[in-house]
Amino acid sequence: MSSSVVPPNLTPEDFEVEYSEEASLPPEDPSLSPSVWIQKNLFSSPSSAVLTVVFSVIAVLTIRGLLAFILGEERQWDAIATNSRLMAAQGYPLDQFVRIWVAFGSLIGLAGFSAAIFRASGTISLKRIAIWVMNIGVAAGVIGLLAPLSSSGRMGWIIAALVVFGVGAAIWFGFGEERRRSTFIPSIWVLSGFALIGVISLWVVPYGHYFLGEDGRATVEEGTVAFSTQMPWTVMWAILVVSHLVGLAVRDRLPAQASKGFLGLLWVIAPFVANWIILRDPDFDYDHVFSTDIPMALAFIVIGGAVLWAQSSSTIGETGRLLAIAILLAAVYTWVSRIEFLDFLPNWSMLQKARLSMLFLGLYGLAASNFSRDNATRRAYVAGWVIFMVIFHWLVTAVNSPSTLNIQSDTYLGGFTLTLFIAWLTLLVSFPIGVVMALGRTSNLPIFRLLSTGYIEIIRGVPLITILFFFANILLFFLPEGMEIAKVAAVVIGYGLFSAAYLAENVRGGLQSIRRGQFEAADALGLTTSQRTAFIVLPQALRVSIPPLVGQAIATFKETALVAIIGLNDFLRIANNTIPAQTDFVGAKREGLLIVSAIYFVVAFSMSKYSQRLEKRLGLGTR
Amino acid sequence: MKNTKLFRLLAVLFAVTMFAAACGSDDAADNADGDSTSSDSDAEGSDDSGSDDAGSDDAGSDDAGSDDESVDLTQGSVLDEVIARGTLNCGVSGAGVGFSTTNADGRMVGFDADFCRAVAAAVLGDAEAVNFVELTAAERFTAIQTGDADVLMRNTTWTQSRDTDVGMDFGPTTYFDGQQLMASAASGFSSSSTVADIDGAVVCTNAGTTTEKNISDAADAAGVSITLNTFEDFDIVTENFIAGACDIITTDGSALVGRKSVNEPNDWVIFPGQPISKEPLGPTYGQNDSAWADAVNWTVYATLIADEKGVNSGNVDDMLVNGDAEIIRLLGGEGELQTVMGLNADAFYQVIAQVGNYGEIFDASLPPLGVERAGANTQWTDGGLLYAPPAR
Repeated sequence: MSSSVVPPNLTPEDFEVEYSEEASLPPEDPSLSPSVWIQKNLFSSPSSAVLTVVFSVIAVLTIRGLLAFILGEERQWDAIATNSRLMAAQGYPLDQFVRIWVAFGSLIGLAGFSAAIFRASGTISLKRIAIWVMNIGVAAGVIGLLAPLSSSGRMGWIIAALVVFGVGAAIWFGFGEERRRSTFIPSIWVLSGFALIGVISLWVVPYGHYFLGEDGRATVEEGTVAFSTQMPWTVMWAILVVSHLVGLAVRDRLPAQASKGFLGLLWVIAPFVANWIILRDPDFDYDHVFSTDIPMALAFIVIGGAVLWAQSSSTIGETGRLLAIAILLAAVYTWVSRIEFLDFLPNWSMLQKARLSMLFLGLYGLAASNFSRDNATRRAYVAGWVIFMVIFHWLVTAVNSPSTLNIQSDTYLGGFTLTLFIAWLTLLVSFPIGVVMALGRTSNLPIFRLLSTGYIEIIRGVPLITILFFFANILLFFLPEGMEIAKVAAVVIGYGLFSAAYLAENVRGGLQSIRRGQFEAADALGLTTSQRTAFIVLPQALRVSIPPLVGQAIATFKETALVAIIGLNDFLRIANNTIPAQTDFVGAKREGLLIVSAIYFVVAFSMSKYSQRLEKRLGLGTR
Repeated sequence: MKNTKLFRLLAVLFAVTMFAAACGSDDAADNADGDSTSSDSDAEGSDDSGSDDAGSDDAGSDDAGSDDESVDLTQGSVLDEVIARGTLNCGVSGAGVGFSTTNADGRMVGFDADFCRAVAAAVLGDAEAVNFVELTAAERFTAIQTGDADVLMRNTTWTQSRDTDVGMDFGPTTYFDGQQLMASAASGFSSSSTVADIDGAVVCTNAGTTTEKNISDAADAAGVSITLNTFEDFDIVTENFIAGACDIITTDGSALVGRKSVNEPNDWVIFPGQPISKEPLGPTYGQNDSAWADAVNWTVYATLIADEKGVNSGNVDDMLVNGDAEIIRLLGGEGELQTVMGLNADAFYQVIAQVGNYGEIFDASLPPLGVERAGANTQWTDGGLLYAPPAR
């Protein structure tokens, strides 16, 4: 949609600088021999020698204590192995578990494909790979030497460490200094390589099969993990690789901007589709769908489309905007009025759809004047509405259909799935609100400035947990009569509003870094305020804001753990409350908490690494 | 040019005003004959609500305008609501070792969870038609009052204030528990120790519960001084006990036995033989709802009578024909004891067939934790306190 509003003689590609990591790398220092390196970095003076020794001893003792804690005999790691499915997706029915894999596989496929289209995969030099592999070997060696293991276990770890270290050394010495520095491998292939090792290990390494036996007690079978674990992970790996290869093959033939826009749309609707269509498996009542839902969607598509077509006419002037405001007011009126004038609709789900559709129609119509250039642009604008309505009505109908799942608890989502879902939706909710609030706070209109500033300051002055309690327990009393909201949805809205206030401040920082000349140049070109904001100011501001925005995203992901307190079964709560209460694993709390921290760390660390790459790629901090 | 714009603006504003006004009068008109519309919406609305969380209070979602009907619904018995809804919302702890926990397959299991299933089997004929609502100790009574849960099977001690002031009613006790203490034999305690022997000891328990008050009262009564340390939950209490930070830990006897058996081998002893508090645990529901109370109570009694007469899930089909007169009446073979309660005639047959009798429910969950069926939790014929009124 947005591609159509760029001034016609420029294509978006004109603004993009082809990025090459090789070219942007600074020259490296020459490699030093180990003895010189050690002398230069660790023992350069008597005081640094003392510090090195003292802190090495402290580090060794800490690692030793940590390993003893993790690998000690009293740890019940079988609690985690038996409960891995519970931690991943809580009580999702076993006979329908394939839905979890389908959802996960779709996301992985989307990720692999997008990585190719967006050229998101960086490259990594052979030298760095060798260093990484050798580091893994060293880590394994440290575990082998310091952990409380049986002598055979210790030998196993040390042998494995030597083998891994040997592989790293082979990569290092197998190529000359020049080649290992100048040979670059896409990092996605390196990651897939490591993932492949993990997947193969599922088939050959006897991890053991942990499950609940017929009597309901935890049982272990010797041998490899269950086929129902091996096969899906293998398929997931294959999906990742294949989707990325397909993406690489087609990316030069696809129109770049359009395919990126389409993929962006997919990422936005993916959590909804994954949750409500794949995981929830709506049981559509097709009589109702054909008799009511589809006609209603068509009405909004046709009438709304006609209204939008009229609003985007170049001769309609201010009337179009006023019409949009009128629709918006009418929509808002249906929400706030105690007596609904849409009461003639036969049931609640239709009322909800009508209200929301009107609201969206008003909001969408506000932007009409930016699309009035020619008929092609207007068609694209109306087509955007049609696509949006189709997706919206389909999703809402799915949400309001009963689920076929037979689950004996409040929610069918739980565990890590719930954590990811909340984090993702929160980011989706908070981003547009945050940007709007940031624009409002820097607006010239005092009312916008006042409202945005008030919102941001109030939300930032309230602790997150208070907001979560409010939305989980008290929001229900403020809803219009006849409306109810699931706890998960309430939490996502509350958390999204909270996150938006912080995000707005980050974006505002970016907005204020845009120099006056940019505004003046845009004005001189005759752009309207919204065009200036959308095409000149925001792109630059958002680029500058990337580091704090990623920091905010990481914080959002980590703070989803707070939903455990209001009783949602995210995987922290499962580790902290559920597993320690099981008959077989009474009190086994530390194992779960260690695993949960490890997973949070891995995800947050990956996000932070990716943002570093993004910063480098966009040249932040260098210009 | 300016003038045209102004006129347009005014025209649109006028249109908006007219629109709003029209809407307002529409409402009034709609409301006048609103009865037929709203009953329509009720009929159709039953399957479109409860969108996200399966079965959380569907009642409120669909009747947009009809106040009368929703009042009717809350005035009726919870029994009717449950039957209309088709699932039982059963409040459980979710973290009560042996009583209600989620197992690795995501299924709620345990002594309390099975009694939820028993009530569902009796009322709905399907033991799996349960929606387990996990509740904290603080939320549980509110959940009953707001209708989020129909019944609590949640280690809730029957006390005078809860029965009266809090507005709960209590069913027959399913488990007689009592607070005890646990200490290491190495520090000089034995199973015959009493509260009088704990002078100067560091006693640990979980914060914010009656156990804290009970042990202080008991220590005062015995004239000993103790140091009381409290922790967030009993896992941490146990960790501190193992680490030696606590000389003695105290909570309900069933939990102590469970901890002791999990941490074998050890030299821990549980005392005193007669608990320092009475903790009768059983089903809890909102007060003044006899029909619902009867349904829940007689489900529990049915499991007790079946246990007393040796009827279990294995022989229930046989007993339906060949049992004594009371059993045949109870299982719905003859008479209409169940139908006058508003249940199906075979309600308690379903309970025994799908869930089991009291002994089976007990044995499925508690002996694996080391809690054996003894003392008060045996039938009155064996000297225990389990005594069901006769089914006739």
